[in-house]
Amino acid sequence: MMTLATLEVGTTAPVRALRLPEREATWLRAVGLYEGIQVTPLRFAPLGGPVHLRTSTGAELAIDLDLARAVDVGGGP
Amino acid sequence: MNELTRVPPPPCEEVDDAETAVVALVGRPNVGKSSLYNLLTGASARVGNFPGITVDVLEAEVELDGLSTRIVDLPGVYSIEGQADPHSDEGHSRRYLDSLKSSETPHLIAQVLDCTQLAMGLRLTLELRRRGVPLVVLASQHDVLRAHGSELDGKALADGLGVPVLVLSAREPGVKQRLDTFLADGLRARATPPDDAVDVEKLAASVTVPLVESAGRRLHPKRRTERLDALFLHPVLAPFLFVGLMVLLFASVFLVAAPVTAGIDAVNRWLGARCELMLGPGLFTSLVVDGVLGGAGTVLSFLPQIVVLTIAMELIEASGYLARGTFIVDRVLRVVGLEGRSFVPLLTAHACAVPAIQSARIIRDPGQRLRTILVLPLMTCSARIPTYGLLVASFFGDRGALFKGALFVGLYAAGAVSGFIASLVLGRTVKRAAHSMRLVLEMPAYRRPQPRVVLRVGFLAATRFVRDVGSVILIASVVLWALLTVPGPGHEQARGLAPPDASPRVLAMHGSVAAFVGRSLEPVMRPAGFDWRINVGLIGSMGTRELMVGTLGVIFGIEGDDDVAPLADRLRDAKTATGARAYGVPTALALMAFFVLACQCTSTVAAVRRETRSWRWPVFVLGYTYLGAYVAAVLVFQLSRLVGLQ
Repeated sequence: MMTLATLEVGTTAPVRALRLPEREATWLRAVGLYEGIQVTPLRFAPLGGPVHLRTSTGAELAIDLDLARAVDVGGGP
Repeated sequence: MNELTRVPPPPCEEVDDAETAVVALVGRPNVGKSSLYNLLTGASARVGNFPGITVDVLEAEVELDGLSTRIVDLPGVYSIEGQADPHSDEGHSRRYLDSLKSSETPHLIAQVLDCTQLAMGLRLTLELRRRGVPLVVLASQHDVLRAHGSELDGKALADGLGVPVLVLSAREPGVKQRLDTFLADGLRARATPPDDAVDVEKLAASVTVPLVESAGRRLHPKRRTERLDALFLHPVLAPFLFVGLMVLLFASVFLVAAPVTAGIDAVNRWLGARCELMLGPGLFTSLVVDGVLGGAGTVLSFLPQIVVLTIAMELIEASGYLARGTFIVDRVLRVVGLEGRSFVPLLTAHACAVPAIQSARIIRDPGQRLRTILVLPLMTCSARIPTYGLLVASFFGDRGALFKGALFVGLYAAGAVSGFIASLVLGRTVKRAAHSMRLVLEMPAYRRPQPRVVLRVGFLAATRFVRDVGSVILIASVVLWALLTVPGPGHEQARGLAPPDASPRVLAMHGSVAAFVGRSLEPVMRPAGFDWRINVGLIGSMGTRELMVGTLGVIFGIEGDDDVAPLADRLRDAKTATGARAYGVPTALALMAFFVLACQCTSTVAAVRRETRSWRWPVFVLGYTYLGAYVAAVLVFQLSRLVGLQ
């Protein structure tokens, strides 16, 4: 399964699911990362730091790498 | 297209013109609420380029088109329906909105939307519509959207939402009048919004239309942000640039401001000499020269450092680099039990711990927020600068500017490292984060800081400092001068305690109440190299750090008799009762170590109390910082002597 943490820099894919506790998933959706939105990783911080990404709404977000691992992306299963 | 657009309101009860209505500005973080608040009220609320810069509820009363109105600026919220910790900035906003809904005061929610992030803002609009409270939308930053090559069709947006919409840019001419009229109309109508389903992404796409005339414009802000991020977030260069910027920030505090400080100090001493000439010797002259000029006047000479630090930090924040710093240090801060968002209060605390403690509300996890609050008093706030500046000038004055600048940076680093160690220890002993909320942060576009805003921030810092010097520090200096003049117990033996060549005035000081108290502490403080004079300074500075320099200024002003040498020279040349040199580098380093750790600030203690809603944590902060300060001072003094430092 492709996740936001394994999506290559510069590649765009839709968010399929947030495998997170409801509280964190709700927070992530409110900030702007929700199912269906297109995301493009711009860069990963060194040493397992956050991922910097852009969404199809034009927003840029920095997200913890562990959180990114729980964000499924891509078209297929 | 961008003119005032309204939806015909359903009839509702009239606003009583005599009653004060409330307009609450609500919106996602960093959409420009504070800019509009300042525009509406003429206030100078802090406007930043980092999500969540407003952490408190700001209020001001104004007249809107004949209506007496209280404008309220709420901390940014992403959602009003998800869970939020009640002590976070979002929690504060929600509590206010709940209280407003249940109150009988006529009110209006004005949601501020960022035109360039329309779809995101509209999700919050739908949540606000579902609350069934009177709502209008202020679509701001239209100038930025136009610079992106698009514009917003306000009428289409109002039709799609069923809510009045005003499209505006905070800096456009005549915007204040339009805004006043729009909000007053909204208050008079107080229309309840519809609650029908809206596809926000479709709506956002349909109301944002390309601007034909955009060809040949200056560099697109998004492209500029991309280019700057390629440099400042470069995988290899970014950490070096970050450290370099921090070093530059703190070195500039010393290197840029030091010459101006020397100038102010020279003027202060010249004034002292003129007063002595004009007034002649006597108690009143001593009060003016030693108490007022030697105490408060000496502290005032450190004004340039405070202003340079404030301006440098404002530039970092207003430019958008603060979010980049958060991105870079998140991993490092997680190692010590903090998180990227802790970077904002940690950096803010280098100016002052009080707003930094309040800004910790942007940290969503309660455990990490508390841990951040507990270590913030260890960051090197600007109130430590006078003492550091004095010690560097006294004991390292003959070294080059680079050495002194590096020493200053080292002191800042010592504060940060102490904070990280404290966080690690606190994480293992006092407060474990029950469930860590991991970093999710909006990255704002880079913006060119507005010189007017930056200068105003610097000016406000200067006036605040001058006000403090002119009130608390002046009064404390005079009180201290009195305590150094009034004879204390055992003053008859003062001759044996003062240097052999002491004048009657100096003898009187050695037999004073303050000297008695300072000497009583010598058995405890001597292992750190502190004599009664430094002890008096430490007592004087327990509530306000700047008073250390003020206190030493008074003591060495009296001790210097007619000597007009700078305080730094008098401190370096101070003598013991046997005529030997009183202080050397070990004492200076020990005093620096004490100041790195001790929480000598009543305002900080009060802020910890306010934010933690408990006396337990402020008492804990006082206990662990003072104990750490004492142990560190003793260790540094003894080790310095052991390695032969003089």
